[in-house]
Parts: sequence; C-alpha cells; structure tokens
Amino acid sequence: MGNPPSIFPRARIPYGTWGSSYFPAWQTSPLAEVNIGQFAGEAMNRILGLRRVPASQLDYLVIGSTIPWHWKFWNAPLVASCLGNRVPGFHVEQACATGLQAILLAAAQVETKAHDTVGVLTFDRTSDSPVGVFPERRAHQRTVPIADVWDNFGFDPATGNAMITTAGIAARKYKIDRSEVDEIALLRHEQYFQAKQSGFLDRVLVPLEVLNLQGRPMGRIDDDVGVRKLTLESLRAMRELDTCVTGGTQTHASDGMASLLVTTPEQARALSPRPEIDIRFVGTTTVRTQPSLMPEAPALAVRKLLADTGLTMADIAVVKNHNPFAVNDAVFARVVDYDWKEMNKTGSSLVWGHPQGPTLTRLVIEALEEAVDLGGGHVLVFGCAAGDVGIAALLTVTEGA
Amino acid sequence: MTTAMRQPTLETLGLGGVLDLFRNGRLPADPAGLVDRVFGPAKARGSLVITGANGIVGAGKTMQLGSRLQPYDVRIVALDFPNAPDGIGAQYPGLEQAFGREGAARIMGNIIRLSYDGTHLPVELANLKPRFLLEAIPEILDVKRAHYAVFRKAFPDIEIRSVTSGFPSAELGVGIAHPAFPHQINKVWEVVEPEPSDVTRLLWALGLLPVPVSDHWSFVLDVLFCGITLAALRYHRARNMPFWKIDKFARKLVGPNPFRAHDAIGAKGANFLTWSCLHHLTEHYGELFRPTPELEAHKDSGQDWYPPNHFRPLVNWALDDTAADEFRTWMLGSVYQMTALMLHERRGHLSHLNAIGELCAQFRRGVLALMREDGPDGVRATVQRYHALHPEAASTAWYPDALHAMAAPEWQQLYVNAEHDGTVGVVTISRESYNRDVDAELNRAIDWLKAAKIDRVILTSDFHLSTQMVGADTAEFYPALEREDEGERIASTWSRTARRLNDEFAVSVAFVAGKRALGGMLELLMHCHYIVANDGASLGMPEVTLPVVPGMEGCHWPLRKAKPADRGKLLHLLLSGRAVTAGDAVGWLIDYAAPMSAALAMAWKIAADGKHGLVRRTVEAASIEVPDGVSGLPTGRSPEGEAGREAIMECIQQACAVPLTEALGVQARLSAAFMVSDACRSGAVGSDFAKTVLV
Repeated sequence: MGNPPSIFPRARIPYGTWGSSYFPAWQTSPLAEVNIGQFAGEAMNRILGLRRVPASQLDYLVIGSTIPWHWKFWNAPLVASCLGNRVPGFHVEQACATGLQAILLAAAQVETKAHDTVGVLTFDRTSDSPVGVFPERRAHQRTVPIADVWDNFGFDPATGNAMITTAGIAARKYKIDRSEVDEIALLRHEQYFQAKQSGFLDRVLVPLEVLNLQGRPMGRIDDDVGVRKLTLESLRAMRELDTCVTGGTQTHASDGMASLLVTTPEQARALSPRPEIDIRFVGTTTVRTQPSLMPEAPALAVRKLLADTGLTMADIAVVKNHNPFAVNDAVFARVVDYDWKEMNKTGSSLVWGHPQGPTLTRLVIEALEEAVDLGGGHVLVFGCAAGDVGIAALLTVTEGA
Repeated sequence: MTTAMRQPTLETLGLGGVLDLFRNGRLPADPAGLVDRVFGPAKARGSLVITGANGIVGAGKTMQLGSRLQPYDVRIVALDFPNAPDGIGAQYPGLEQAFGREGAARIMGNIIRLSYDGTHLPVELANLKPRFLLEAIPEILDVKRAHYAVFRKAFPDIEIRSVTSGFPSAELGVGIAHPAFPHQINKVWEVVEPEPSDVTRLLWALGLLPVPVSDHWSFVLDVLFCGITLAALRYHRARNMPFWKIDKFARKLVGPNPFRAHDAIGAKGANFLTWSCLHHLTEHYGELFRPTPELEAHKDSGQDWYPPNHFRPLVNWALDDTAADEFRTWMLGSVYQMTALMLHERRGHLSHLNAIGELCAQFRRGVLALMREDGPDGVRATVQRYHALHPEAASTAWYPDALHAMAAPEWQQLYVNAEHDGTVGVVTISRESYNRDVDAELNRAIDWLKAAKIDRVILTSDFHLSTQMVGADTAEFYPALEREDEGERIASTWSRTARRLNDEFAVSVAFVAGKRALGGMLELLMHCHYIVANDGASLGMPEVTLPVVPGMEGCHWPLRKAKPADRGKLLHLLLSGRAVTAGDAVGWLIDYAAPMSAALAMAWKIAADGKHGLVRRTVEAASIEVPDGVSGLPTGRSPEGEAGREAIMECIQQACAVPLTEALGVQARLSAAFMVSDACRSGAVGSDFAKTVLV
C-alpha cells in the first residue's frame, strides 16, 4: 500500500480509549428526556474511566452537536464540567459531518501544539428537539417556528427540497435500481447483526445507566433500539417514498453520544492499552456537489481525496460511511467503481440510526477497530451532510511500528 | 488492687478506673467544683472568651458551652470582627429547638457579643474577667500566635486552648481542644496538654468527651477524615468516578461521605482545612499525604464537590467485583497506612483512635476494628496493593511494625474493657450500639473475668466515650435483610452472649449510667440479675418503630422476670415503642433507680456484699401466660408499623409459650423471619440498607 504523508504528523488517536453509547431510536429511551450535553459529558467520563484514562489527562475539549440543547450557550466548558475536568474547548457543527469534523479539528489543535490531549465528544438528542422561534420581519409569517430536526430534514432553504428528495434525485441520476438498493439495505443489516453477535460492538459501545432526579435508575441505554431484522421480501414490499427510498432503505433518527481522544504520539502510547497500535491522520477533504444531489457528494469527496493522496480504493483496508440512504452506497460504488459488499462490514448508520453529531464519530471508532482486527491498513471514512456536502477522511492504522 | 484488661479510657483524663467509681459511690469529678477551679469562685466568677465566635466552630462551641455553663453563671464572651457574618444568630433556631424558647433565651442572655479589630481588645472585656480563652480563628500560625500575645498581655493568667485541627501545641504555645463537627452537638474534643488539666476534666464533667491525643501535626480526627478524603480523591483521579458516586461506595465500604461532608460543613472553609491539614502532613511525612490537584483547585475556588441541583447526576457508575476490590484497596490501603503511622507515633489510647473515626468521621466501625478484622497480614497486604496503585505512597511513612501488637488487649478490647479487684468485676462498653465487635469483645471480657474466678460483675458503659446505650447497630442487620439464616445467626449469637451474664455469674448487675438504654442494649442488660439505673435514664424498646422484631430475647426474657400483673406494661413497652423513665420502671423492668451517687452505691452493694435489700427477680423457666393484647397503643401507624407490631406480638406469644430452653431459638427464628419481610425492608432499616448497600 502507498504511504502518503500525514496532514497532522503530530496527532494520533490512542487506540482503545474511545467509546460510544448505543444509539436508541428517536423517543425509545430515557435519552429522550435528558439534557444530552450533560449526559454526553458524564458518559465520556464514564467511558474514559472504563478505559482507564484519567479525565485529568485532557487539556482541551472539542464538542460536536447539531441540535440545540439546554444551556448550549455555555458550550464545551460546560460539558467539560459535566465530564469532571474544567478544561476549555469549543463547539463545532456541520450537520451530519460534525463527528468527523470534530475529530479533524481536534487533530489540528494537537498539530499546532495548542493542546496535547484533546477530547472529542459528539452528541445529539433528536427526540423532542427544541422548537426555535425566529422573529422574521421580512417573512410573511412574521414569526417562524422551527422544530429543529424535522423541519430541517424536510426543507433545504437553498434548494427548497427535502433530504429524502435528494436521494431520489441521485438515484435517478445514476439510474439506480430499487432491487439493488434493497439488497444493499439487507446486507447492511446482516453486517450489523453479525458484528453484534461476534462481540465486535462490545468494544465500541458502552452500556450506560441513566438516573432520574432522585438518583434512581431511569433506564439503561444498552441497545440500538429501533434496528429491525429485515428480509429481502419485507424490503421489497415497502412503499417507495421517493425513487429507491423506502422506510427500510433510509436511516432513522436516534439519540446518543460518541467520544475519542486525539493526542501526541508519546501520550497516545501512554494512554492506550495497546501502545503498539499507531493511528495517524492521512488526509481529508470536503466537497459540495450540485443542488439536491447530496448522496453523490461523499463519493465525489472520496474521489478527490484519493487523487490528493495518490491512493486507490485497492489501497484501502476498511471503508466505512455514513449512509442515511442506501442509495448513497449505490452511488458511491458507481462513482469510485467499488463493490458495495466490501464496505461497512460491521454495520453503518443506515442500520443503527442517525443522531447526527456522533454518527461519524461512531463510524470512525468502528472502522478503526475493524482495521486493528485486520492487522492495520488505511481506513476511509466518509459521509454526506446537509447542503449537498460530502466529507471524507483517511487514517492509517499500523501495528508494532 | 484493681486489675484491668487494658487501661480504662477514663484514666487518660486522670479520673481513675470505672471500678473505683462504683467503689467510691460517686463520679470522679463534679462540674461545680471544676467551674470554680477554672473560672473562679461564684463571687468572682470569670468568663469564657470564644474568639472567631461567628465562624462555624466558634458559633457551634458558643452554643454548646454556653448551654452547659449557663447554669453555673459563667458568662460567654463571643468575640469577632465587626463585619463577620452573624454565625451565632444563625444558631438560635437550633438552640430553641433543643432547649425551648425560655431555655434558649436564658442561654443567649448569658452570651455577650463583642467586636474587636484583631489587635485591640475591647475595654469592656476586662470587666468580664476572662479566665479561659477558646480560640477559633483562622488556621494561620502567625495570626494565632499574635492573637495569644494580645490576650496574654492583657490577661497574663488566662488559660488558652486552640480549636486548631492541624497545628501542634508546641508550635502554637497553647494547649489544644480540637472539637469535632457538627460543633453544636458533637461532644468529642481532642485535647493536647502535658497532663490532664482541670479544663479537660471540666469538659468531661459537663458531659462532653475530651480525648487526649499526642502533639503532632494534624490530630487524629483530621488524619482520618482528611485521609479518607484524600483516598477518595486519589481514586477519583485514577478512575474518574464522580465525587458523589465515590461517596456512595465509600459509605457502603466504611461509612463516611467525605465529599458530602465538606459541602455540608461549607466547602469554602472545609476545603481549605482539608488542604491545610494534608499540606502540613505532606511537609512532615511525605507523599502519602500530598493533596491532589482537584483539592488544590477546590481549595482555591471554594467550590462544592457535588454538582448543583440542576445538574443532578445523570449517568450511573457501577463496580464489578474486581473494580470494587480495587476501590477498597485505594480507600483502605491509604487509611490503613495513615493509621499505622499514628500507631507508630502512639498518638493516643487505641480505643480513642478507634472511637474518633466512629464518633467524628462517620466510620461505621472504627478503623482499628477494621484493621483488626483484616489481621496484620491482611492490613499489610492491602497497603502493599495500594502501593502498587500509588507507588509514591510507598516511599514514606509506612510502619508495618505498628501492627505487630494486634493480639494485645489494647487492640482486642477496643470497645469492651473489664476490671476487677479480686472479687468484683466491672465490664464496660464504650460503644453506644451493639455490634459484632462488641459481642466478641464482651465474650472475651467475660472469659477474662471467669479465668480470674470473678463471679460477681457489674455491666455498664464506660463513663467516657459512651454516654448512652442506643441499641443494636442496625447496620449489622443489612445481610439479614437478604438472608434469613444470617438474621438467625446474629440473634442466636448475641442472645447466647447475653445469657452468659445470667448463667455464668453468681451476681450480675446492669448499671444504666447514661441518658438512655434502648433496644438491643436494654435486652443485653436485662440478662443481668439486677438492673440499676440513674433515675433520669430512659428505657425503651423502639424496635416496633423501625420495624424489626427484637432478637436478643426481649420478647420473653423480661416477661419471665416480671410478675403476671406487670406483663401488660412490658407488652406496652414492646408494642408501643415508647420509652419509660427509670424511676417508673422499677419493679417490672428494672430493680432500682436513684440519682447517680445512690445508684452507683447500690450497684456496688449488690455486686460486692449482697446486703442491698432488693429481691432478686428470677427468670421463669417454664412457659408463661401473657395477655393477648394491651390498650393505649399509638394508632395511625403505617402498614409496615402494623406488620411489625403483629410480628412482635406473635413473637411474644410463641416465645413465652415454650420453656426457656427453647425460647431463644423461637425468638431468633421469628426475628430473622421478619427481617426478610417486605415490611422490614420498607422500614427504616430497609431504607438505610437501600441507601447504603444498594448503590
């Protein structure tokens, strides 16, 4: 495989110091009723504790979320307080690209020596997302209420189209066949359940118990509630909402958090339970495609990233993407000439849902674990984001270096 | 000549042994005489000055000493800066609650509040004839020294004590009287002085608990309390567990909630004091005591340890067996090492070191009792495992040799002592509630007396650390809430110990010296052939209010000793939970009640020569008849309370319906059966169990 230079030579992700909550679907767990910023801070602290990483090691925190949460104004410093370490930090938001952008920005903090050990903490609660009231004197309604998640999914102000419409348009552009999309969705579900059964997900996901105001258990977040066992027949029987898009071939809204660390090589070795594993950043790119072709954007981003780094898909060990629509994978396969059966081998957001902020963080963690299982290699993670944007990043896992 | 298992703690105050006290028929010190000695005779009575009187300690002690010295016309001068927040006024509601409106007004009317600027004493002060200064100003050495100089210049003969928790007497140049929190009600004072003084004896005579300790940096209470806090902080730093959850596991493991305690005392002041204590200990003993950065930060910010109400914890933390074992090592390894250091330095009577943890630092069982249970090898292994987790602690202040003497009576009799003069023995219990330690030590004390062929004995409290006998330690019942056989084991074991007082002595006398004897402790005393009480004492069986079923034969033993006509009174005692005064219980529950001196003399008469005029009430060995009901019981109880009452009644009926030889087993079985019931688990013991164990 090729060895392109790293964009952040000083930055490493320490293996095994990460973790994600399960992602229960919208309105199916106690997460629907909590301040998700507080939950995320406390959950990251718990995860670090389980990974035997003292929270006091962090000297900065990059948080990522897309849906307003109570006391969001206070931002990363507040979440850091909930985490138990009063470090500074900031908040980043780029719709569904948030998780990956947060990781990259953390790496930039380390690279510039602004900080040495940066926590990346991404979270969102799509359940009961708050209603924003926007006084708009120039709008004929005068005052516009927006329920964050659903109103935004349903309307891209730049194009006037819904997210789901972009999937239909992309499917038509690439002449994607419904049966292929159903097969992709089926495989992704099979991949997820296989990973779950094998215990792979236990290395990524951490069960968390949520307490009520009296300190008594309110429930456990210990499953990706909402994931269904589908069959090809059931998928084929589903009503088409737009071209190639059905209830089974698109993701669902969910709640959750995911976190990892970015630090220096020395500190990565000190913090990781397997210091021989080295995880570097190779490159990243973001592209914006034509209006209402969002599922195409990540494929174009990958194509550009490969060109930038001089790599080909044959060089990639693990391919993982945020695929809110199965159409995304079909388009990707067309654009980069890749077999969609070879990607997302431990599942993807199409299956386990989409809490937005942490989606790509969990995907990165799963991809890195998968690469470690393979003995190392290049890891490609990518996904789409609101506004017909695609983001892609390449990491490299080496063992025993 | 009196022989003792180990030194009576009373002797550390220069007050002799407990056996002497009975032999002399009076207490070894009286408050009026000591007030005269410390504050001068009534016609020229001087005053007590408390400086820093509006602070947490100063205000609390102004209340405590003000209420106790007011009957002796000792004026309390509360001195502080003019801009100090009113700490004394804030105490008034509590004072009113404790003493009533008139009593509170009387006490407050005896407190004179004066202001000063820190260097010039108010002119008025001289007219109040200060005889004793209790200094409670901030923990800054130079400021304290200058403060004493000001007072000594104005009042050369003034007696001075500092409430400092950290500075040695040798550094301050005055004696120490370090009180424990909460200062209004906690009676323990660690005192540092070359010999027991009149001030210390006066504290004892006023009903307080002075405890002599050695003159080292930071006294025993602070080493233990700051030590457990530091252990908790180190665990937090290593494993991230939030402070509130560490508190829960710490409470489950040993008892204290170190972080909650800081917040309750007032984080700003308490954080500083803990830091200050550990800082000085680090300077003298090294890394074992070094404050963590979290403590430094909280010291500087004064921030609470618990999150604010709007951020009540959301994510729970659990410990599997391995993690729980590691937690235990972090906590106990550190505290064991610190305690070994104090043992090495001979900081005090071992019963005192042990009791300070229980009475002042929330330990369910004293640290020495915990160490004793682990044994010297177990303690060493725990500390060594701790050193593997925190290697810095291994390099300093580790004295495993201090554990060598663990088989000695000083270690083995932390709570129960025995003395005898060749004829009469006295067994003293220094713990207010009965637990496995007391049970084991009581057996050893009885064995010791039997080995010395002593068959006449008085059983009582120690006239020092235990000012009342409140019953069984309900924390001992936690395992019994889940396992019936455990409940039966506890009840049977403890009852068998109690029966030794009846079966193995020619004469046994229980003496109630303190304010009350309740529940399991009263059941223990009942097994003596005679019960003599200070006439003001309350006696009761409050089990029904918890509810639990008495396990130490309380449901049949006193009924077998009572006349049939008096059994209704005992039923009322058991089924109402209401206490009676000793004077009202003579003849059916106890045998004699009188003011202290007369009661002491009577107990000695019974034990020593038998010419006392009392008729010994015998225990009926056959089955007995008891009424199947009693009138005048409180109504409106909860369903749990009703269930408890029914269970106690059932136990009374069944235990009395069998011969004495079978009754112990019946009572133990029924007591244990109720312990696993929903009613018990919904009650006070079950609630404590849930809060303490199910975390």
